[in-house]
Amino acid sequence: MNISKAVAALEISGLHKYYGSFHALKGIDLIVNRGSFFGLLGANGAGKSTSIHMICGLTKKTQGSIKVLGYEVEHHHEIISRLIGLSQQEFNLDRFFPLHKLLRYHGRLYGIGKKILDHRLDELMSQFGLWEYRNQLTHRLSGGFKRRIMLVRALLHDPEILILDEPSAGVDIELRIDLWRYLKKLNQEGKTIILTTHYLEEAQSLCDDIALLREGEIILQGRKDDIVSKLKGNLINFFLPNPLETPHVE
Amino acid sequence: MSSKDLTLSLSAHAATLSQKKWAGFFSLSLREIERFLTMKSMTVFPPLISTALYIIVFGFFMGRQIVDIHGFSYIMFILPGLLLMSVTMNAFMNASSILYMARYDQTIQDVLLSPLSYFQIVSAYTVSSIVRGVLVGVLVCVAGVLLVRMPIHSPAILLLFLMISAQVFGSFGIMIGLRAEHWEHIAIYINFVVTPLTFLGGVFYSVSLLPPWLKTLNLLNPMFYMVNGLRYGILGISEVSILGSFLITLLLGSTLLGITVYLFKIGYKLKT
Ligand SMILES: Nc1ncnc2c1ncn2[C@@H]1O[C@H](COP(=O)(O)OP(=O)(O)O)[C@@H](O)[C@H]1O
Ligand SMILES: [Mg+2]
Repeated sequence: MNISKAVAALEISGLHKYYGSFHALKGIDLIVNRGSFFGLLGANGAGKSTSIHMICGLTKKTQGSIKVLGYEVEHHHEIISRLIGLSQQEFNLDRFFPLHKLLRYHGRLYGIGKKILDHRLDELMSQFGLWEYRNQLTHRLSGGFKRRIMLVRALLHDPEILILDEPSAGVDIELRIDLWRYLKKLNQEGKTIILTTHYLEEAQSLCDDIALLREGEIILQGRKDDIVSKLKGNLINFFLPNPLETPHVE
Repeated sequence: MSSKDLTLSLSAHAATLSQKKWAGFFSLSLREIERFLTMKSMTVFPPLISTALYIIVFGFFMGRQIVDIHGFSYIMFILPGLLLMSVTMNAFMNASSILYMARYDQTIQDVLLSPLSYFQIVSAYTVSSIVRGVLVGVLVCVAGVLLVRMPIHSPAILLLFLMISAQVFGSFGIMIGLRAEHWEHIAIYINFVVTPLTFLGGVFYSVSLLPPWLKTLNLLNPMFYMVNGLRYGILGISEVSILGSFLITLLLGSTLLGITVYLFKIGYKLKT
């Protein structure tokens, strides 16, 4: 597998999604460059999760093309599953197994060898303050901890592209500070990160590039500063909920 | 990270691709085996107890009033059927509850996101169901040997039929686990499909005692061939050809396996 540097991390063109007769995505075009920190910003119901799930092959597309590092999603499931790590918006943690076992089984689904897996687990679980909870069942833990576990799970196989669907939902400010700092570091180390949010502040603090999604259409797309100044100057009509309590992260 | 590093780490990914092709499959199989083992008191022991009760009631109390069949006491004759009931029920319950639960709490998404192919995913769930079915089957055999000195004519054939019977019902369970919208749907299939097929498949009687038209009808019941194979493995008698029974069961099992792979491929009840 040789991927030239020129190829985009993600390239979406003419993407449509119908849920029955409901037109959820109305022809989306999007390019995310390799190594960038990309924000998909939109209110609830705009179609963020739908887009993310189609990129990962969890939802069927109605029409259009999605390429991840040049690979068409439909035809290269195995390669793409190794390139992408996804943290879904909704928690979906297996209730049966204690945390440590849950993550270990997950890592082994990706064929990670025992030694590397142990190392990754140690590193990530301490990084996210999960080590002392390793023998607990996950449904006993709070929302903030569940969010951390979702992130660790997405990162475990060391994917090229990290996709986070509303990672700040249900997370307190302290975790958010840690999380934002960590994500910035990952991005600086070369990981492409795609994040969805309905908080302008979150996109503003983290992302280089932003696309605004409204009712299934991308109404604006570009460098962060342009987008933010247009939004703040009310040059476009774009509804977002109340501002987020914003941690300052360098 | 420079572009060279990126390319390097990607080729490292490519290496793991080919090397670890089946590691994920084993991991998923093991996880689903561990899942039912952690619930032994709900999954493995109940069928054992109910079979022991059958053996006691039919073997010691009622059996004496029923004439021998093919030279075997009634309990010996029906033991292979009791065995089949436990095995198929467990394989079915395992697969259907795994799939139903995984869809319900969306943990199935992680499996769908993983590098496993649909064939590997389905096979792993099936393997887990075969293991549960065969484990229960072996325990029932042990109970039979201990309680009524059940013979074992051919362990290899016995094991073979335990496995393919469990596979058929494991695959069927996957289909129903995908289809079910409520737990009751699973119960409906047990009450209206699995149980009637079992009772009408020659578990409690010899087909030679049936009128001809019922005999013919019996030949359409897949359970008949499974029980026939098990009966041969245990008692060394059979009412139809063993090879034929094996091939018919195998054909059914492969067809159902193929259907489950197809259902995953089209994302039936898995992808909107
Ligand atoms: N499985 C589904 N069936 C029908 N409609 C859906 C389904 N999933 C999402 N939708 C609808 O599609 C629209 C976009 O949803 P979603 O992608 O979840 O938005 P967001 O993530 O931006 O909040 C919403 O109107 C939602 O109700
Ligand atoms: Mg969403």
